[in-house]
Amino acid sequence: MGIEQQDPEAPLPLAGLRVIDISNVFSLPYAGGMLADLGAEVIKIEGPGRLDVSRGGAFSGVYPDNEPGDDPWNRTSTFNLLNRGKKSLALDLRRHEGREVLRDLIRVSDVLMENFTPRVMRGWELDYPHALKLNPNVIMVSCSGYGPHGPYSQYPAQATTQEATHGLAHVTGYRGEEPSKAGQSFVDFLATWALVMGTTLALRYRHRFGKGLWVDVAMYQLGCTMVADRILDWEANKRLGERIGNRHPWLAPQGCYVCAGDDQWCVVSAHDDAEWAALCGVIGHPELAQDARFASNSARMQNHDAIDPVIAAWTVGFSKTEAMERLQDAGVRAGAVFNARDMHLDPHAKARGLLETVQFPPEREIGKRSIIGRPWRLSKTPLHARGPGPMLGEHNREVLQDILGYDDARYAAMEQSGIVGTRPTHPRPVLRMSMDERVERGRLESWDPDYKERLGIED
Amino acid sequence: MVLPAILDDLMVLDLSQGIAGPLCARLLGDYGADVIKLEPPGGECGRRMPPFFHEDPDPEKSLFFLLTNLNKRGITLDLAQPEGSEILRKLARTADVIVESFAPGYLASLGLDHATLAQDNPGLVMTSITPFGQTGPYRQYKGNEIVAYATSGIMAISGTTDREPLQHGGFPALYEAAMNGMLATNVALLTRDLNGFGQHVDVSIQEVVTSSLVINQPYYSFAGGVQGRRHPEGSSFGHITPCKDGYFVSQEGGSVTWDTIADFFGREELKEPRFADPAQRLVNGPAMDAIILDATKDRTMTEMFKTASEQFRMLFGIVQTPEDLAHCPQLDARSFYQEVEHQLIGRIRVPFRMWNMSAGAASCRRSSPLLGQHNAEVFAGFGYSEAEIGLLRDRGII
Repeated sequence: MGIEQQDPEAPLPLAGLRVIDISNVFSLPYAGGMLADLGAEVIKIEGPGRLDVSRGGAFSGVYPDNEPGDDPWNRTSTFNLLNRGKKSLALDLRRHEGREVLRDLIRVSDVLMENFTPRVMRGWELDYPHALKLNPNVIMVSCSGYGPHGPYSQYPAQATTQEATHGLAHVTGYRGEEPSKAGQSFVDFLATWALVMGTTLALRYRHRFGKGLWVDVAMYQLGCTMVADRILDWEANKRLGERIGNRHPWLAPQGCYVCAGDDQWCVVSAHDDAEWAALCGVIGHPELAQDARFASNSARMQNHDAIDPVIAAWTVGFSKTEAMERLQDAGVRAGAVFNARDMHLDPHAKARGLLETVQFPPEREIGKRSIIGRPWRLSKTPLHARGPGPMLGEHNREVLQDILGYDDARYAAMEQSGIVGTRPTHPRPVLRMSMDERVERGRLESWDPDYKERLGIED
Repeated sequence: MVLPAILDDLMVLDLSQGIAGPLCARLLGDYGADVIKLEPPGGECGRRMPPFFHEDPDPEKSLFFLLTNLNKRGITLDLAQPEGSEILRKLARTADVIVESFAPGYLASLGLDHATLAQDNPGLVMTSITPFGQTGPYRQYKGNEIVAYATSGIMAISGTTDREPLQHGGFPALYEAAMNGMLATNVALLTRDLNGFGQHVDVSIQEVVTSSLVINQPYYSFAGGVQGRRHPEGSSFGHITPCKDGYFVSQEGGSVTWDTIADFFGREELKEPRFADPAQRLVNGPAMDAIILDATKDRTMTEMFKTASEQFRMLFGIVQTPEDLAHCPQLDARSFYQEVEHQLIGRIRVPFRMWNMSAGAASCRRSSPLLGQHNAEVFAGFGYSEAEIGLLRDRGII
């Protein structure tokens, strides 16, 4: 990669495109954020009475320095990561006048993204067939739990319950034990990738054939594709699979082993006889490479229980990163179990720059913060998160007047009647709990009061 | 009417092995690209991955290989031989995309890196999918599913505090990496459509998994908080719970009240403040668990899923097995499964369609190739005579 130079003047791939993003929670907001990174003008629509749930509550993360401030809904960590670089229009779509604004906006936009339950847009006559009447070239991108048709289409859905239904929980859990929740809303992020894949495909379709199309992502279906190999095993061999914890389904040994320190771990995995021999060498037991009990992969699968304590007896003498480095230097697959602190401070992470620093405007009093960028780099087109998430309704006037050409009187009337706004009509209760208390109650493992110095983001 | 396919103007060379790279290349094929898979003469490692059809470990019968190599033609080529590299250089002159998963620097050592190949083909996009990316101190580290899980940050918050960190089952990191590889390739292609130049796309599997930690990561950069694993004790509401014939999981939220949830379980005592109040519920978790366990011990997964979702509008999931997914009416309604004809396996139904589109949707046009199945056809297409192909075969280059 070093040979090719990035061109800071290179046009962004989606420059000049306008995206309407009526999104909530994780999947679609994050996809819209990525489109903003790629250069699109992304207008996020929320209702003054229906804020994105990442602006408060369980999914919102934390406020800067745990301070909610006067406008907590603009300050949550998760919201600002997901919705980076967007414009905010706070518009009441439950009222007819609000939907008229949306119709006007669809007429002058390239992409319409939404993740309502399928009946909502249909009920408002804003589903794809109707959107096409407003804008014959529009690309529509929808994300729902089960899709707009089929027996489960109207079932309520959320990642936590779907990860069971789409087959992930059946294979996730400690070995031989009950299924376990994966957590972290796993399927939402599959949806994020699928939504950006679908949108970029649709843009290429429009570029080549001059027409838009509708991308219809159902999270359940997408989740099921992640266990496609298990489904094929059932189809061909009537095998259901089992929960194997940290072991590998067909290679041995593999596991997560304890290291020196408090709650420090390193995973180790050997894929073949050569890696096994290298592993035996690193852990000071070269004789085990010749031991008949472990001489082949199938023998190691059979006698896995005998191998685990030998590896753990070695790892416990090293820090997790030292264990990883020693094993990897010998050609053995190994990985330290990194936490959020490591994710920021580990030298590889720092060198790669996955985390990007965004600067908030001074009046927001949030300073600089690092957020996840994108897990891929283009050698010639530099990409960056183009700013933090917008304040609620920050761009109401710009969207309605500059883009849609509404006059001052019309805009003032809409503000007056609450069709647009900049404050939530029903603010969520703010969770006030000190960082120490969060640790005591088990919500956090620990916290670093000096995290800003560590990250180099002091005011 | 033949619908146009979105990527049917593209030729893709797939040099990758394993799961993530091959699946990325397949996804390009699903949308119409002509994908040519190049394997070493002994076959790529993915051919040795279970599950196998009828559990026969024949490298032509790996179902994982079949899944990740649909919609491709297959050729063999030994890149380690100078003549093999020379042939690839020729193929790359007309290629639009190369997908590869070698250790960083390997292709450069053969003079086959993007910068070199782009001299003859400035529009070429090369997508590299590797465990830790092309740069940084760990770039030469080997990886796999669990290494990606550990180093990404997700494993530190999976499992319980009294046990070791726990990876998710299956190969989600590698599937997700494939999706990101395809996505980033699309972005590079859109850029090329604008200005004509191709570029090198660097996908790190570690970073793909980290990118799903949207609560965990900024918790640190906003307030210094580090999340850990959950405590094993306490309420199982929101965790997976056994019932008569399997397991279910229920979640508060959506449009339903706590009273509705209590009604679904048919237990009035759940409406008492010690359970109805979220703060008290945390303290009274074990008592609530006992009530719910008792209320569901004679109820089946399917009945509860239907009743909770249709009548009570609750967020409700059941732990479905691969067998359940194989018979799922919702997946049928979404045309999730497609049938292909494999030369040795015969007709087989594969889980295929990730999402739906009103036009240009993914199409399953051919099964995975046997090793070198399309050598004659593909090399002839590149202008090699039958005699030349025979010679290459005799010398072990193809």
